[in-house]
Amino acid sequence: MRRREFLKLAATSATGAVLFTGCGSIGDANPEHEFKIESPVRNPNDLLYGRDNWYATATPLSIGGYGIIVRVFEGRAKKVEGNPDFPVNLGRSCAKAQALVQEVYHPDRIGGPLRLAGQRGSGQFQVIEWEEALGQVADLIRQAPDSTLLITEPLNGALGAIVEQFVQTTGIQHASLEPDERVVLREAMRRVFGVDTLPTLDLANARFLVSFSADFLHTWISPVQFARAYGAFRQGRPDVRGTYYHVGPRLSGTAANADRWFPVRPGAEGLVALSMAQVMLEEGLVEGDGAEPFFQAIGLTPEQLGADFAPDRVADAAGLTAEQIRELAHAFAEQRPSVAIAGTSAAATTNGLFNLAAVFGLNYLVGSVNSEGGLILNPASPLPDELPANRGGDPYSQWVNIAQQIAGGQIRTVLVHRANPVYSLPPASGIQDALRGAGSVVSFSSFLDETTMLADLVLPDHTALEQWGLVVPEPGPGFEIVAIQQPVVNPFVNTRAFGDVLIQIASQLGQALPWPSQEAAVRALADGLRGLGRGNVEAEQPSEYFVTMQTQGGWWDEEARAEEASPQAPTAPANPEFAGDPGQFPFYLLPFPSDSLGYGEFSHLPWLQALPEPVSTNVWGTWIELNPRTAQDIGVETGDVVRVVTPQGSAELPVYVNPAAMPDVLSVPMGQGHKAYGRYAEGRGVNPLELVAPQAERETGALAWAATRCRLELTGRRMRIARFEGQFPAFQLEEFPIIQVTRPRT
Amino acid sequence: MPRWGMVIDLDRCTGCGACVVACQAENNVPINTEDVYHQRRAIEWIRLERYWEGEYPNIKARYIPVPCMHCQNAPCEPVCPVYATYHTSEGINMQVYNRCIGTRYCAINCHWHVRFFNFWEPKWPDSLKNQLNPNVTVRSRGVMEKCTFCIQRVVKAEHQAKLEGRDLEADEFTTACAQACPAEAIVFGDLDNPNSRVAQLVNSAVNERGYRLLEDLGTEPSVYYLKKIDPEAAAEEHSGH
Repeated sequence: MRRREFLKLAATSATGAVLFTGCGSIGDANPEHEFKIESPVRNPNDLLYGRDNWYATATPLSIGGYGIIVRVFEGRAKKVEGNPDFPVNLGRSCAKAQALVQEVYHPDRIGGPLRLAGQRGSGQFQVIEWEEALGQVADLIRQAPDSTLLITEPLNGALGAIVEQFVQTTGIQHASLEPDERVVLREAMRRVFGVDTLPTLDLANARFLVSFSADFLHTWISPVQFARAYGAFRQGRPDVRGTYYHVGPRLSGTAANADRWFPVRPGAEGLVALSMAQVMLEEGLVEGDGAEPFFQAIGLTPEQLGADFAPDRVADAAGLTAEQIRELAHAFAEQRPSVAIAGTSAAATTNGLFNLAAVFGLNYLVGSVNSEGGLILNPASPLPDELPANRGGDPYSQWVNIAQQIAGGQIRTVLVHRANPVYSLPPASGIQDALRGAGSVVSFSSFLDETTMLADLVLPDHTALEQWGLVVPEPGPGFEIVAIQQPVVNPFVNTRAFGDVLIQIASQLGQALPWPSQEAAVRALADGLRGLGRGNVEAEQPSEYFVTMQTQGGWWDEEARAEEASPQAPTAPANPEFAGDPGQFPFYLLPFPSDSLGYGEFSHLPWLQALPEPVSTNVWGTWIELNPRTAQDIGVETGDVVRVVTPQGSAELPVYVNPAAMPDVLSVPMGQGHKAYGRYAEGRGVNPLELVAPQAERETGALAWAATRCRLELTGRRMRIARFEGQFPAFQLEEFPIIQVTRPRT
Repeated sequence: MPRWGMVIDLDRCTGCGACVVACQAENNVPINTEDVYHQRRAIEWIRLERYWEGEYPNIKARYIPVPCMHCQNAPCEPVCPVYATYHTSEGINMQVYNRCIGTRYCAINCHWHVRFFNFWEPKWPDSLKNQLNPNVTVRSRGVMEKCTFCIQRVVKAEHQAKLEGRDLEADEFTTACAQACPAEAIVFGDLDNPNSRVAQLVNSAVNERGYRLLEDLGTEPSVYYLKKIDPEAAAEEHSGH
């Protein structure tokens, strides 16, 4: 026996065995099967010692489903880069995609199927065999399919097709969970433009962009796609530098890039948009017959708009001056092509849908819908029946119903794939208590998140880099596109692809899905694309077609674009309503999605935890941002701990004095406050959703997480905020400017 | 022989941090834990600095990515007693880890604070070690580390070109930060190859709005910045000193 083999065996008996019977997660060691000495015949595919391979695959939908290439060395995923051929990102990538490799080798990844071994919620699990786990889930469904609910993240493409088939065949119910602001955005797209897809922007050809609170370069729907276009918008043309104005209550990581920032009251975005429209109409700055669809979208007459939304009438309510609104209107109308977008907190107030409808409606006024330099609508999936496009998430109000049905016993078995409702929904939804008392909870997550902690059975899924898939990127680049996902490494631990698991459960129930495996589904559906006879992939034979598609990273057809858009239903103006009496709760509480952690779905990855939030440079925690004057009035400074009290609850948070904070707006990042989800996420900071009142957006029923007021109480305690600022200074020295600034050429 | 350099366009940079994570993934940079931040010892070979300008409501937050400047006249090099810090013939400021004895003179002499000392042995859970890049040394306790312009990528590309009996092509590879950057703000390449994007930028945009950090010190950094453009900037722009 060689030394190397001896060491492998020693390691197996020492660490592998103990950890694997113990807790079922990887722990600090490598999984047991990794130590088995395999014959070269059984080596993983393509494994060539000493050489690296690059495989094209796709990010999960939560990162946009764009094309990446992954460097694999001796069977290990090492590095993610953007796929240079893939039209959405053309070789570019983001911090979240870079961190996908950490998900594969995460020490707290679930190592195989588990069964609850103690009280529900105790976190004590016992390792079981796959066959046993599958049999138990099949039994649960067999007992009462119509009182079984499957909760997933929004799915499309191949996995969407498998889930749809499974739901139909077995007769169970299905709900999908996504950030509520997206629920509002989807509805706005349907109403204003009549499309079911999310839009993209032709920034590379635009001259002016106004974003109403949309954090489009960091967290909003497709940051990589937009950031790439933004580079070209600023410096991609010899004679034109695009101008970007930001309207919103927080100088976000994105807003910091704006040429001008207009701080407005939370929820006033739509009001400002209507007022801009009023100025444009009054001064004859509207393109062609753009006024007609605009008025259809907002359900007003020109007289009503003129009477109620002139800048002088709305300025105070918006927190701007009338002159600023006129300036915005002129900039937007005169520097064409121009484009207006709204999102993030603008969608998360009680009048969120109106905010989005009014702002996106502005694009009609300048002829920027589906035109060069404007807002580009995306077509549906190229195979709408076989490859479903995004089904979209259910709104908060529906989740409250679901929680009641679980609590009331109408839903007895809950299956959860990746979505984490216990963390992502506010406690007021009742979902946590409902799941605690549910008949059975089955999780398909790769990590022990808050929801999985309540599970009786865990059937862990592969990570994104270990499985097959076809993903329709959301939003696409303006034409039909499908990304192909392929395993770049063999599964690191004893997991199975969610699609395979569903297919196997169905077969135990005596019902066959159309495909024998997730891979087979991907191959069959990819062949459906071949049947279309168009697109980038050219090959006669099915196998050649598939391999070509794999190497290019997907299928796309630049000619297949969305058709003309028109408003489908009006969204009437509405004012934002806030929970909490202004006398008792003088401040607005403004949660914001974290630039690197999103809504908390990436909090388990250490690189993303350690990446400073760009504006505050804070890391690894939660803080509350105060304007310097507000802080002075209250008598606190950075690091003082305050108690934030809302009508819903209270939490203690350290203050970060943010020189750009609005005086009456207190911002808190989302993403922390996990009570489970592995060593890097657990037990840090506060989840602001525990503070927000369960206000719903008035038309969609989505959670209005930016519609709560709060007050501060001093605790007299201090704590150190982990942050990057301090390794370098906050303000530059005038005599040695680090960042030099110049005026544009005229 | 190439002369490696970089141009960073501050008017394109969005402050997203993709470069920071891409660098950590490529170069086996240890995980910056909460404690490390408290100690002000976060290791980021390329970092994103944010500077405030003005007061609310007329306030700006500006971003700048800062890697090692790879000075041609580097103040960190002559102070190393053991020649662990040296200059390659291709213009890269290199660190030889197994020569380094941890005097930290180089870090003291670097005005850009882009040298990082390993006060402790870097730690990863065993399973995360599977991600480590086999082409890059994991630095041990007591050793200085820094941006290498992804020397492993340079060497690999040069080796490949040599095997194929040809010259390096312009922009046939790039650094991890530049490759990730979604806004294409970071451009890396051979300053002496007129076909490379970086050389073209040095001949065009750099003439117009280029500057180098702390240029007055005369260290000849190889990293050029393109000034942020701001229509509201003071009429008298900052001089280059």
